[in-house]
Amino acid sequence: MSDHAVTIRVNGVERSDSVPARLTLADFLRERLDLTATHLACEHGVCGACTVMVDGETARACLLLTVQADGSEVTTLEGLTEGDELGPIEQAFWAKHGMQCGFCTPGFVLTIAEMLDENPNPTREEIIEGLGGNLCRCTGYVKIVEAVEEAVSLRGGGA
Amino acid sequence: MSLFGASIRRKEDPRLLQGNGQYLSDIKLHGMVHAVFVRSPHAHALIRGIDTSTAMADPRVVCVLTADDLPAGLPPLPCIDAEETTKPFNQPILAAEKVRFVGEPVALVIVEGDRYIAEDIAGLVDVDYEPLPAVSTAEAALAPGAPLVHFESNVVDVLEYSVGDAPSALAAAPHTLTERFVTQRYAGTPLETRGVIVQWDEPRRGLTMWSSTQVPHSLKATLVGYLGLPENAVRVIAPDVGGAFGVKLQPYPEEIVLGLAAEQVGRPIKWVEDRYEHFLASTHGREQYHDVEVGYDDDGKILAIHDHAVTNTGAYLQRLTLVEPFIGVSMLSGPYVIEHQQLVSTVVMTNTTPLNPFRGVGHVQAAFTMERIIDLVAEAVGIDPGEVRMRNMFSNDVFPLHRGIGNVLAGEIIYDSGDYQECLRRAMAAAEWDDFRSEQDSARAEGRYLGIGIGFFVEETSLGPYESGRVRVEPSGQVIVFTGACSSGQGHDTVLAQITADELGVDFDDIVVVHGDTDLVASGVGTYASRSAPIGGTAVRHAAGSIKEQAIQIAAEMLEASPQDLELVEGEVRVKGSPASSVSLAQVAGRVAPGQPLPEGVDNYTLDATDIYHPPTNTFSYGCHVATVEVDVDTGVVNLLRHVVVNDSGSLINPLLVDGQVQGGVALGIGGALLEEIAYSDDGQPQNANFMDYLVPAIGNMPEMVVEHMIVPTPLNPDGMKGAGEGGAVGAPAAIANAVADALIPLGAKITETPLGPETVYRAVQDAR
Repeated sequence: MSDHAVTIRVNGVERSDSVPARLTLADFLRERLDLTATHLACEHGVCGACTVMVDGETARACLLLTVQADGSEVTTLEGLTEGDELGPIEQAFWAKHGMQCGFCTPGFVLTIAEMLDENPNPTREEIIEGLGGNLCRCTGYVKIVEAVEEAVSLRGGGA
Repeated sequence: MSLFGASIRRKEDPRLLQGNGQYLSDIKLHGMVHAVFVRSPHAHALIRGIDTSTAMADPRVVCVLTADDLPAGLPPLPCIDAEETTKPFNQPILAAEKVRFVGEPVALVIVEGDRYIAEDIAGLVDVDYEPLPAVSTAEAALAPGAPLVHFESNVVDVLEYSVGDAPSALAAAPHTLTERFVTQRYAGTPLETRGVIVQWDEPRRGLTMWSSTQVPHSLKATLVGYLGLPENAVRVIAPDVGGAFGVKLQPYPEEIVLGLAAEQVGRPIKWVEDRYEHFLASTHGREQYHDVEVGYDDDGKILAIHDHAVTNTGAYLQRLTLVEPFIGVSMLSGPYVIEHQQLVSTVVMTNTTPLNPFRGVGHVQAAFTMERIIDLVAEAVGIDPGEVRMRNMFSNDVFPLHRGIGNVLAGEIIYDSGDYQECLRRAMAAAEWDDFRSEQDSARAEGRYLGIGIGFFVEETSLGPYESGRVRVEPSGQVIVFTGACSSGQGHDTVLAQITADELGVDFDDIVVVHGDTDLVASGVGTYASRSAPIGGTAVRHAAGSIKEQAIQIAAEMLEASPQDLELVEGEVRVKGSPASSVSLAQVAGRVAPGQPLPEGVDNYTLDATDIYHPPTNTFSYGCHVATVEVDVDTGVVNLLRHVVVNDSGSLINPLLVDGQVQGGVALGIGGALLEEIAYSDDGQPQNANFMDYLVPAIGNMPEMVVEHMIVPTPLNPDGMKGAGEGGAVGAPAAIANAVADALIPLGAKITETPLGPETVYRAVQDAR
């Protein structure tokens, strides 16, 4: 199996590597770049734990091959905010107890970031619709919805 | 303000939200090699031979281990709750002559490289199987001439309990009801699968194992036993655990094999289960049916019950196999006075993945069965189901209540505290029971089917035997709390810090909680059975109390006062009545730091105290769920409208976190009520071992949820805590099934099983027409 050269801008830093064609983007991020906030829970695109942004849109890192992401810009949870600062979505998860074991949380945070960028003031129905592709086994989702509503208000509502 | 009882934000969260969690698969060690298990593709087969030569020829292979490579006479996986009558159908660490379920580990392949390569090479191990006839259901396993999973019989044990004289009381009862209630097989399926890293530690002549486990100390004890190493040579670390729910509460064969391979390999070995493997090789739960005969009178009073439960416990005994069959019958009567009970629980083996307890073990089936019985009796006598419950419930003056039934691993069932009738009243009020009945009538007039159902449960919680707590104050004033409990997301760091802050008056942010490392925490049991707050929390409370006494003793010299004139307030030891005369805990800790003479009357350096807390017996939490639903009778789809829970788990350390436990439990219960079922073909092939086909609840499946707390503290521990981790999962299936049945009463549809997916409900409606 021959390797393929890729160059991907990850969290604002250009990363070049040579990877087997079958290496998933999730494993590239986790194993090659040590960006371990992207979690693998089902490895077949159902649970959303591995959600990252590829060129500004959420994608399942377990279903993308690294070679497919060649030339693109990828953002993981680590790159969502500067340093160790918590952004409004993370603050809201903390305030509202939107997480328990934390394994699904990075995928939720990225999905919510995209949702609020597109629709800064979603209704409850829109929140539920927007998070339909992310599974959480701990919270029963109640406090995740509350966290999104809190994040909306921390971000200044519909402003 | 006291921190005990405060809904404060968790200590754990900022780190996890920054992406700085460290789950098992995030750990990378220098020189690490990767492991994959070769697993049986057959439900039942003889192993005629294993040819590893092709795999071994690959230069990237570090080693391949089969049963032949393990030490001779290696004992099988232990079952610690086996009775004398339990047949010894224990699981070999690797299958030798025979495999008995799809997914059973047969060989371990360790390679240089990564998991991709390890999986490639595992595919080269050639196992010669001779398939045998298999059974996947309890009914098939009990049928005459059924294939035998082990030998002699597929019945591994029959447990019997009785109080009163049920046969006579049933014969004399004015009415009887006979029915079968079926709960399906489902599982905890945490988002993080299992995983292990093991590293041989040559200077120590031992090993360190990182495992995604709920029970690092029992894993350590198990490894010590299997490896024949001294206790000091084994260190187990549970890093951040991404959910567990009971699925990670026992040492597994994979951990033992990897432990056995560690010295030979001499390099760190990593194994991470994938989701398919998880469905095959991590324990399942629940699958149990109850054949009941119930005697009752015209007033809806239940006079007697005979229950024969049958549990399909899979192919092998696991660590706590008998809990599901035992609790399924022993907790059947829950909050109700039933004088005559004859309870029989048959434990059956099949060619399926083994069962072990998970969130709400046995209680789910008991509550589903009992609560459906109550509603059927209510319907038969024409009395409201709430009223029938009230007539049969224990009053609040019966505690402690001896139920007359022995308790697996916990002596005797003695209900400690509560007010069941008040809980029922509050839940019905919160669900606006009477208003919903009017709404239901109007909807029926329009041809819409609304239903309301109650799921009351009593649940055995805070199981012993003990938990450890240690508190140390450093000369900086920082406090370290060590616990033998082990978090898988519950928030141990937060709630144990709250108890410590409450006892010592120190700042919450000055407390660090350490768990999940057997080198740092000398002894412990782990987290399961809703035990960490009531038992682990009490141990920490006691240890912090000892720190308080020590601090006052030490400060007596510093303040030139007598200990009885001193008090510990807001992190300072003060002279009572003159608070200006004080020393901080930091100064007190500094006064007993080594390198100086000890104060007079003080025997030990360092401000440090440990408590091992053995609870006198376990507690019993309870709660009442009320679900409302609308059923589409044309499609069989159940739409959940609202779910109310009034829960009594005793005193609450952090209500915000307890709400989260209950809500998450309800979600799991909704999965069990409507969506989740691990399906097998008749010959034992798994049919839906992935998240595409096995449906766990998504956000759109959730109804509006209302959680209220009743607090009747238990007298069994100083803070009155009873354990809150499981009740949400226990009551939900019963309440939802009753609501669906209630909706369909006008059609006469029979609801006796879960999950109530569209096909099941549609058929029930069609069968009634």
